[in-house]
Amino acid sequence: MITMDPVVRECDVLVMGGGIGGLMAAIAAADAGARVIVAEKADTRRSGSGATGNDHFVCYIPEVHGDFEDFMRELKLTQAGLNADEPVLRAFAARSFEIARDWHKWGINMKLNGQWTFEGHAYPGHMRTHLKYDGRDQKKILTREALKRGVVIENKTPVAELLTDRAGRICGAMAIDVSDTVPAVKLFRTKTVIAATGSANRIYSSCTPAWMFNVAGCPACTGTGVAASYRVGATLVNMDIPAIPAGPKYFSRAGKGTWIGILRDYHGKNIGPFLEKPSREHGDITSDVWPSVFRDKQRDGTGPVYMDCSELSEEDMQYLLWAFTCEGDTSLVEAMEKQGIDLRRHMVEFGSYECTLLGRGVEIDPHAATNVPGLYAVGDQVGNFLSHIAGAATMGRIAGERAAEYARTAEPDDRVENHPVVAERRAFYTALMERKHGSSWKELNITVNQLMDDYVGVYNVRSETLMSAGLKYFGDLRKRAESSVMCRDAHELMRALEAFDLLDLAEVVCLSALERKETRGGHRRADYTFTNPLLNGMFVTARLQDGRPVISMRPAR
Amino acid sequence: MPPVIDPKKCVHCGTCAQICCMDVYGPAKPQTVPQVRYPEECWHCRACVMDCPAGAIELTYPLPMMILCKDAPARGEGGDRP
Ligand SMILES: Cc1cc2nc3c(=O)[nH]c(=O)nc-3n(C[C@H](O)[C@H](O)[C@H](O)COP(=O)(O)OP(=O)(O)OC[C@H]3O[C@@H](n4cnc5c(N)ncnc54)[C@H](O)[C@@H]3O)c2cc1C
Ligand code: SF4
Ligand code: SF4
Repeated sequence: MITMDPVVRECDVLVMGGGIGGLMAAIAAADAGARVIVAEKADTRRSGSGATGNDHFVCYIPEVHGDFEDFMRELKLTQAGLNADEPVLRAFAARSFEIARDWHKWGINMKLNGQWTFEGHAYPGHMRTHLKYDGRDQKKILTREALKRGVVIENKTPVAELLTDRAGRICGAMAIDVSDTVPAVKLFRTKTVIAATGSANRIYSSCTPAWMFNVAGCPACTGTGVAASYRVGATLVNMDIPAIPAGPKYFSRAGKGTWIGILRDYHGKNIGPFLEKPSREHGDITSDVWPSVFRDKQRDGTGPVYMDCSELSEEDMQYLLWAFTCEGDTSLVEAMEKQGIDLRRHMVEFGSYECTLLGRGVEIDPHAATNVPGLYAVGDQVGNFLSHIAGAATMGRIAGERAAEYARTAEPDDRVENHPVVAERRAFYTALMERKHGSSWKELNITVNQLMDDYVGVYNVRSETLMSAGLKYFGDLRKRAESSVMCRDAHELMRALEAFDLLDLAEVVCLSALERKETRGGHRRADYTFTNPLLNGMFVTARLQDGRPVISMRPAR
Repeated sequence: MPPVIDPKKCVHCGTCAQICCMDVYGPAKPQTVPQVRYPEECWHCRACVMDCPAGAIELTYPLPMMILCKDAPARGEGGDRP
């Protein structure tokens, strides 16, 4: 039997995932007097999509933007406004500035040149909503702030399952200790969980399929917070509408908004209508508005599409290269150097990457609460608000405050050790570890990818027959994988559980996409080729009831 | 294969193995040069390079991640840019 750590860790608030949202939640909950543990898969100082930096922080500053309603109108036109429930978007925007101020106070440089500077992701002539900042050390600083407040951080501890009591309230969680090659199960007794595990980044094939971890967001984020929340009854939303990231083709890396240049075709002709010349203030927003531009133009033969920064002044070029280091894209700069690419002379081809579930997932209310009592969710894993960095941070704070308040009145549960899910999962992990022959976790991950690409694809069409077949195949895959996947050490067990979570999410994506009988954005149905205006602002939701998925549609709030 | 440690420079502090978001190194034994156990799982975030106190790590970039480029069109000499 897989070893069980005999110590059951106890807290009021367990944060699952110490990324940007998770650390901010932990800090806020500790400030509100709660006993907080962060269980993090890697090490909070350098984990997640904000590991080595980010540079754009959506933020409402009254003296910069004036009226809040004007800001909200603009926000809805940008990426942040997509698929969002307005009360959540408003709750975020209203408190975004206090986070920017605190971050600056804690040592993250939010005031370039000493002032609040708004640049990038903007339409020419419009208000700018993205504060430019230097996030290279943000994770170290937030970790320090959390520790200062008595937060306990358990690194190398991927959470695998959430536990609920008989009344359906959160009572604990189950994690794997991967600090050694031999895994051990760790249990937590907690009154609340804040799920903050980021996006699901390995669900579709990478743009370099043989190089699976070449994905735009951190590949350690595989949607466990979404899948585990779903398994305990949380509602998921917007799983049908895919997120399509883009950037330098084959070098999969988020941070497109940092580039100061113009998207141009092979002959140097502008692709989008927004800018004639590169502009530091705006960036070329074309691919925010038309996310599949690169793939579309490749397909119809009018590609490739290049990012052309060659018209920048030397001062702006230096600024761009520096901004990449704030954004966590130093590897991109280094890789270009090693290849002899000089942005002063060369255009770099851009491409669409694999799709992710960024901003698709758990449904929350404006307090970051889910429909499961004691369960909160923040950041990229939320489905009704596209968080990005500022959203993760701000909703993280809101979740931390709320969870601490809820924990004051909730009673701890004493049956975590004897919870039926613990016994059942422990037996399953043991079977994976004890098998002497079988399939590797990679085979499972790759098979999920290939079925996603073909049967509920984004660059391929979707249809009733394709997705129904896909669902059947996912079921067949599950049966085979459960009886064949084998793991040789703790690391492989972690990866295998990630792949099983991806499989759970794959099924929800399929079911949700079947429900949307129209074409919308990256959801292209061969059997419903038009966008139905009656479905504008309608969100598909999914939840488990008595072990069966219930799929429905609801209007945006 | 990413990353590569120069054993002559490494001071065996274990930082790279501890902070790697992908567990590329796996658990490091104290006072040894960390192994690179799962090189194909590197995300090229470059955190280990940035945080190594000895400058002992170099990232290599796999060929499939080759960045594709082309000369920018000549400007002001009848290049067909609008
Ligand atoms: C290179 C790059 C540049 C970007 N630039 C910007 C930008 O300029 N502006 C912007 O707004 N956004 C940007 N983003 C997106 C931004 O980084 C994310 O939106 C943000 O980090 C989301 O925060 P989060 O807390 O939801 O997830 P993350 O910060 O990704 O954190 C998730 C955490 O959960 C951990 N984890 C995963 N699974 C488990 C588990 N089962 N148990 C325990 N822990 C787990 C992970 O290790 C990680 O620490 C960028 C992303 C990248 C990759
Ligand atoms: S570059 Fe990042 S993912 Fe790769 S080994 Fe270093 S820390 Fe790990
Ligand atoms: S961080 Fe550098 S010095 Fe420390 S163990 Fe790793 S390679 Fe060696």
